[in-house]
Amino acid sequence: MNASGLNLLIAVAMGLNLLALGSGRVSSLIRAVSFQGMALGAMPFLLSHEFSPWVTLVAVATIVGKGWVIPLLLGRAMRAANIERETDPLIGFVPSLLLGAGGTIAAVGLARILPLRPEHAGSLLVPGALASMLTGFILLIGRNKALSQVCGYLILENGIYLFGLLLIHTTPLLVEAGILLDVTVGVFVIGIIVDRIQRAFDTLDTRKLTVLRE
Amino acid sequence: MIGPLLLFALVALGLGALAGRRSPAVWVALTLAAGVALGAAGVAVGFGLQPDWDWRSGFPVGGQALHLRLDALSALFLILLAGVGLAGTAYSHTYLTLNDGIDPSAPARGRLWWNGLIFHLAVVLINSNGLHFLIGWELFTVCAYFLITLDRRRLAVRQAGWLYLAASHAGTIALFAFFTLLASATGSWDLGPLRERTDLAPLFWLALFGFGLKAGLFPLHVWLPSAHANAPSHVSALLSGVTLKLGIYGLLRFSGWLPVPASAGWVILGLGAVGALAGIVFALVQTDLKRLLAYCSVENIGVILIGLGGALVAAGEPAADWGRLALAGALLHVWTHGFAKALLFLGAGTVVHAAGTRDLGRMGGLWRALPFTAVAFLVGSASMSGLPPLAGLVGEWLVYLGLFDAVASHGPAGWAAGPAVIALALAGAVALATFTKANALVFLGAPRSSPSHALHEPDRWRSAPTFGLAGAVLLLGLAPAFVAPILARASEAWRPFDTGTAAVRVPLISLGRFQLILALVLVGVAFALWRRVHHLGVTRGPTWDCGYAQPSRRMQYTAGAMGGTVGGWFTWFLRPERSQRRPRGPLPDRAFILDRPRETVLEGVVTPVARQVLRVSTAVRRLQHGRLQSYILYIVIGLAALGLIVLVQGGRP
Repeated sequence: MNASGLNLLIAVAMGLNLLALGSGRVSSLIRAVSFQGMALGAMPFLLSHEFSPWVTLVAVATIVGKGWVIPLLLGRAMRAANIERETDPLIGFVPSLLLGAGGTIAAVGLARILPLRPEHAGSLLVPGALASMLTGFILLIGRNKALSQVCGYLILENGIYLFGLLLIHTTPLLVEAGILLDVTVGVFVIGIIVDRIQRAFDTLDTRKLTVLRE
Repeated sequence: MIGPLLLFALVALGLGALAGRRSPAVWVALTLAAGVALGAAGVAVGFGLQPDWDWRSGFPVGGQALHLRLDALSALFLILLAGVGLAGTAYSHTYLTLNDGIDPSAPARGRLWWNGLIFHLAVVLINSNGLHFLIGWELFTVCAYFLITLDRRRLAVRQAGWLYLAASHAGTIALFAFFTLLASATGSWDLGPLRERTDLAPLFWLALFGFGLKAGLFPLHVWLPSAHANAPSHVSALLSGVTLKLGIYGLLRFSGWLPVPASAGWVILGLGAVGALAGIVFALVQTDLKRLLAYCSVENIGVILIGLGGALVAAGEPAADWGRLALAGALLHVWTHGFAKALLFLGAGTVVHAAGTRDLGRMGGLWRALPFTAVAFLVGSASMSGLPPLAGLVGEWLVYLGLFDAVASHGPAGWAAGPAVIALALAGAVALATFTKANALVFLGAPRSSPSHALHEPDRWRSAPTFGLAGAVLLLGLAPAFVAPILARASEAWRPFDTGTAAVRVPLISLGRFQLILALVLVGVAFALWRRVHHLGVTRGPTWDCGYAQPSRRMQYTAGAMGGTVGGWFTWFLRPERSQRRPRGPLPDRAFILDRPRETVLEGVVTPVARQVLRVSTAVRRLQHGRLQSYILYIVIGLAALGLIVLVQGGRP
């Protein structure tokens, strides 16, 4: 197992988390999600000991799906909806960054407390997963535009995916592939809905959708 | 014999409800027939002419087989229902169509819900299955709600109905808990004597809340005055005369069938004493005739509860047969108060119709226009004040005797019985003041405002029930010994006593003898006075007017002033709303003093608490705002809390 390579990739993903939190442009947010998806897709190669066509297939599908197809869909939705930036977020960019950074540190600290198996103790897998989930939540809570929230949702899913990698030896990648399929379909649907919301309400600001609460 | 009678009564009530819209004559005939049948069944079982009736159906209704039972305790209440039901039915026949600016659809609706109410009251009384008891209880509450809100165009009526419905359901919740816990503990919905199951004793507190609320037990009476005041008068009569007693019936039934906590008797005794005193003090200061009568019901429920509490205390002591006297007094008071209060409410209906207002401050002088109603009302008032030779004294007398025996027994019960006697006596005195005020303001003096209707005695449909009830009150007062068998049998049905029935019969006979002699003396004195007046002739002249040249009809006692002196002693408790302007200077221009009696418990306790509850729930409702971001935040907080719990507990469940 190429532990240092894996840790490097996870560190890159954690850095991309902070980039996603700090970027006001929707296009750079999508790009960050895309790069994070590719980094995550490469991880099964580093984790598995011998070459297996099945793992390769899933990894390639992940890279293609998360790194290329989904960002492409999001980009199209962004252009259709004519949204360039996230304006007036609920949690500002600097506070989001601070929260994310604090969350990352807390995740590393938490991972030391958690009763992990010895082979995972040195790895960044658990802190990375926690930090990504936290980042996803911050984006979901702190952003107003539906597209930014979709990106938050993707990062949250990436965190779950990282947790899933812990179990790669016991859980077949098939489950992971199923999740990936779900996410892809979900993003498809959201892309379509975003388009419809935009046409119906002339805005993508989710704050204006509160009339439907009852 | 009993089964067919009850079946006939219930079918007649149902058919009457159907006929009520089209043909009032058919309705009144069917409903009266049903009342007679109910009364006959009650008398047959209550007086031991027929054995207790018990019937189970072979088919389930709502998942449970019907189980009906009529024993002397149920029969006692069934006779009351029949009596007041008959009177109210006859009274409402023409009263409903009087059209005091009421909704035109009201008479038809009134007949339908009236039959529904009597039907379900009877069903509750003969039911012996917890599930069906609850269903009947709920349905009669709903029927009563529609009767209270018959004149639904008026805001005050709708508010009273709403308060009644809300309060009743607070009580029903407690009863739901009571019956379901009982059913889960015994494994069956069937009701019956279970005195050996001492683990069921704490359930009594639930029953006390649920049934006590329906009975108008003092701090829980908040719904009662407005509901009784705003309902049509025949409905007030049935509500006050019978449905309140259903709460008493529930308390009696389940304190007899189930074990009760050791403190139950003391609590009921205390609540009864406080309620009797508080109820009558509130009644004294009311300026609304029907509200006054409604608060008087709170007092009488207190008297009944004193009797029941005494019986429960005595049941916990060895060989204390004073409990039997107290219980018999409570049972008899159920009747005497029921009939007398129905009489007063029917009389109040006539008076209110004639005067066009319920406000005592605008009545007066009705004696001349309604002499017979005035006499009937006076009989009811005297009975309610516990004056001999009428029925009201008899029940209270037995309660007094029981409490005196308790005091004389020098047991621990004596310590509670002494204050209870004092409260009862004080309540009786204030009741006398209250009804003096009511009668004086309504019937004596000169009219305080010009009445809107032509003043005349009501027609036969309305006067006959009034006099019938007055006759019942008089008969019960003069010959109380005749009801001794049903009292004895009902006490046995409550809990078997080891003493004989003589304990109750003997004092009733001696009291009856006294009442009879007193009545004869009174009649003799009245006759002698009448002859003397007749002999001397009558000369009419003006009242002495303190030298004032121009007396006007406004120079009379007001409703506030009549109760002012005694009411003033209780200002710390009543907290009336007072606004006044004192006369100032040598030539004062305008001065007034205005006392408004408050619903102290409702306005001082229930409303503030309800407002706090509303505030909290409004605050909680703000969490439901539709902002997706915050919903996700809730989820994160929830997840973090769960994680924290797992971390702190170290993964143990």
